[in-house]
Amino acid sequence: MRGVPTVLITVSPEVSAQMRPPRALYPKGFKIGNSLGRPRMRELQRQVLRDALTLLTENTRPGEYVTREYPDYGEQYEPPKVKAGAG
Amino acid sequence: MSTLSRKCVPFTPFERTLDKSTIAIVTAGGVHLKEQEAFNIADELGDLTYRVIPPDVDSSELMVTHHHYDHADADADINVVFPLDVLRDLAVEGFIAGIAKKHIGYMGYTMQLKAMYEGTAPEIANEIDKGSRADAVVLTGG
Repeated sequence: MRGVPTVLITVSPEVSAQMRPPRALYPKGFKIGNSLGRPRMRELQRQVLRDALTLLTENTRPGEYVTREYPDYGEQYEPPKVKAGAG
Repeated sequence: MSTLSRKCVPFTPFERTLDKSTIAIVTAGGVHLKEQEAFNIADELGDLTYRVIPPDVDSSELMVTHHHYDHADADADINVVFPLDVLRDLAVEGFIAGIAKKHIGYMGYTMQLKAMYEGTAPEIANEIDKGSRADAVVLTGG
């Protein structure tokens, strides 16, 4: 297997970070089930996907996630926390 | 902490430019074609199987079977967890070169972590590695 570069879009950054993904984008305040944004907000969805893909070309720190803010998303949500002792 | 998190990060460098790259989507959001067998949400242990999604499907042919997140928004627009139409837009605008020949949906809920990690995950990676011609993969959850 040659290996394929990956980038994760996560709305549960703390939970995802436990798995130490090679590259990850956290669109701040997006709720679970809205990894790319809200339904039919296509320009927002495009921007999130462009930002995620761009992480492939940047000097990110493997195992950590990058937070970006998208005011167009609207109402913000708190991401799930990692329970003490879990994981 | 899980022993998984203590392993080194399996980092594969990206040595191309995006405008010359073909991208695949792998989602844990329970996405599959309506005509494919749904994931088994009745089994409390979860479902270790995955579905291969071809690149040329109409997004209206896709659906979600997953009972551990609210997928009402994905039901309205699958692109919120499986951005196939969004990838198509990025290909049209030249941001990426194209869409991979295979994409993957699985249900990212399981009590069988070892089987998922040692079985399903390498099978999915192999599916992408051998048959998709993907230069990179976007991963999404629910």
